[in-house]
Amino acid sequence: MKNFIYIILASAFLSSCTKDDNEAESNTSSIDINSGGATTTLNSTSLAFEDPSANLNAIESDLHVRGNLAFEATFITAPATNNPGLGPLFNNTGCAACHVKNGRASYPTSSSDLGGLLIRVSMNGTDPHGGPLAYPGYGGQLQNRAVFGKAPEADVTLTEALQIKQFLDGTSYELREPIINLSNHYTPLTSGPMLISPRIAPPIIGLGLLEAISEQTLLAMADEADTNSDGISGKLNYVWDVQANSMKPGKFGWKAGQPNLTQQAAAAYVNDMGITNPLFTHENSVGQPQDDLTGDDPEINAQTLEEASFYTKSVAVPARRNTTNSVVMAGENIFRAAKCNACHRETITTSTLSGVPSVSNQTIHPYTDLLLHDMGPGLADNRPEFSATGTEWRTAPLWGIGLTRVVNGHSNFLHDGRARNLMEAIMWHGGEATNSVNYVKALSSTQRESLIKFLESL
Amino acid sequence: MKTSIKFLLLASFVFVASSCNKDDDNATSTPTADYQPELKNISQLVITATYLNLNNEAGDLVSAVTNLKNNPTTVNLEAARQAWRETRLPWEQSEAFLFGPVEQQGIDPSIDSWPVNVTDLQNVLAGTGNLTKTYIDGLDGTLKGFHTIEFLLWGTNSNKLIGDFTNREFEYIIGCTESLQGATLQLYNAWQANGQNFEQILYDANSSNPYYPSQKASLQEVVNGMIAICNEVANGKLFEPFSQQDITLEESRFSVNSKQDFADNIRSVENLYLGTFNSGGNGKGISTIIASKNANLDAQVKAKITSSINAIMAIQGTFTSAITSDPQGVQNAIDEVTELQTLLQQNVLTTVINL
Repeated sequence: MKNFIYIILASAFLSSCTKDDNEAESNTSSIDINSGGATTTLNSTSLAFEDPSANLNAIESDLHVRGNLAFEATFITAPATNNPGLGPLFNNTGCAACHVKNGRASYPTSSSDLGGLLIRVSMNGTDPHGGPLAYPGYGGQLQNRAVFGKAPEADVTLTEALQIKQFLDGTSYELREPIINLSNHYTPLTSGPMLISPRIAPPIIGLGLLEAISEQTLLAMADEADTNSDGISGKLNYVWDVQANSMKPGKFGWKAGQPNLTQQAAAAYVNDMGITNPLFTHENSVGQPQDDLTGDDPEINAQTLEEASFYTKSVAVPARRNTTNSVVMAGENIFRAAKCNACHRETITTSTLSGVPSVSNQTIHPYTDLLLHDMGPGLADNRPEFSATGTEWRTAPLWGIGLTRVVNGHSNFLHDGRARNLMEAIMWHGGEATNSVNYVKALSSTQRESLIKFLESL
Repeated sequence: MKTSIKFLLLASFVFVASSCNKDDDNATSTPTADYQPELKNISQLVITATYLNLNNEAGDLVSAVTNLKNNPTTVNLEAARQAWRETRLPWEQSEAFLFGPVEQQGIDPSIDSWPVNVTDLQNVLAGTGNLTKTYIDGLDGTLKGFHTIEFLLWGTNSNKLIGDFTNREFEYIIGCTESLQGATLQLYNAWQANGQNFEQILYDANSSNPYYPSQKASLQEVVNGMIAICNEVANGKLFEPFSQQDITLEESRFSVNSKQDFADNIRSVENLYLGTFNSGGNGKGISTIIASKNANLDAQVKAKITSSINAIMAIQGTFTSAITSDPQGVQNAIDEVTELQTLLQQNVLTTVINL
């Protein structure tokens, strides 16, 4: 019964030691297994992404427990006694339905069940805050499911095109490109071309730590004009913060389109589940013919939203494994030599996050800079989001990536799950990562294997 | 709840303090002895056997509800309800191993979603669409699985009479049980040797196994599954309806099967621990490993499993009434299961990690 509480405190017993606070920001991650600082768990089973941070205080623990209930809740059509308000249009029925075991959704096994994949839509132009311009009749996201009596906005058909490529040693590899076709629209598209961007549900580990990274720290890593001429020009997104009523640094989402986890959760509630909330009080179908107009908004209160978002701030990061293995260590050297760490930053120190002391002032190894980078035409969605252009994506965190298989039973990566393994994910990189990819392309098979073993140790 | 969490966190600090000097790879290193006999028995003769039994019972449930539609009598209604209970039993006895395909292939929501989407269900029943297995397969989990079937067989107040059933309800129940059996078959096939063979993934742990790089990793998966269900029974299934005094939060309320559900969850822990299921299993389980290291701990765990099951079954009357009329009995069950969880966390898991 998924709605019930599922806090695995077992892991607290496996929690790691607090690391040395004086550690300098340097290439020391190979000996520091505590990727999430003092939040880190040593759990490496299928429950590795479901542990509370190891250092929660009593108040945080209590909030985390209640937040877990909210995260596991399954919504149903109103009126209902428990969890009413689903839809009328939606992508899925609960947070954990996409973020299975708090982890990463797989690439869909069939077009009839997209699982944890959704599709953002918009039209050419920008909204008053510089964000994507809602497509009339559809809004900013395609809901491909609906409660009884309402129509899904469209049917989604996924097909794949295979490209065959070669490493320099002649070994071939394949890249799988998803091709998305929309059909059976509930109402005709009358506002020109529809821009679409598929997004897979990412793991929710360590998100509070990322929110606790200060704007100053992020700007210090940015190099928008590439003044150091290394071909890499990280750019901080600035996005609309609904509560602050102003532009703030974007940190969450595949294009860093959300400024904080409360807004991230609130947007997911309304867009993914059709659950109105204090931040977004109108259904995702507002102004469209299928709005339910039941007057029951908001369908969750501020407390539930706060608890659910707190949950995403208080999930532990799993520790690294096999760090002293010689193959892993060789792979780490390759990771650095290929300059993967120019964007997948190894070490960052967090600032403070109000109400969440467990994530404040931690030295962490997230393997991201949270900045936008041009990834080239191969990965482009051609759908801008605030400062992020159609070819730019936020550097994805790599911590915990080696546990994807045991937690979620697959090895699909990137924003739409197209990569079938870690090497394909690497080889999809382009744009600012071209030099790094060329470096990897020239590796021997042994070196490639080492690189993958290193990634699997994260 | 708060108290137990504080206690657990406090306990964790003790463990942390004692583990600081460990080799960082200790948790997944190769153990000195060979535990494949235990893992193989757990995987094949407990887990896969439970799923086979579940699938067989689900097949019987399809027959029972088909018979009910063809011959709607009070006797056949009770037979259908009994078939539901008998299918429910192996499912509940599988909840200490909610890892692998059941979650990774998204099967669990098709089997055990809650709450039931009564509003949509009534709309579907009021409509004219064909209520086939294929149609129901395509619906959300909240419109199928155990609790939807339970709702249709018993009604909200557990007092549905044979004359209350409509023909479309019979059709829906049949489609729903067929869909359930489709899910249980998928689950069984995912584990069994002639299917995707997850049973081998669990027992054949080695450095090239992408899921379980060592036997210790497999054993931790099993023990963590046991801990997780104890936590869910104590802090979720028992505690939530009790603390909020809200019977709508109770699992299997319509069928008045909650105490049986909870006890079977702990029996699921017992099955993994003792390496047995029904009359099968050769007895090699977590118990044999713990006994070889600490016979006293093994005896403690066995006794606590028994007292947990007994405490749940000793709750007076139905669980629905007990949350108001027998607070002491409910609290005692919560305490017993919490103590079992603590024992598994603090002692059994630690022993496994240090193998």
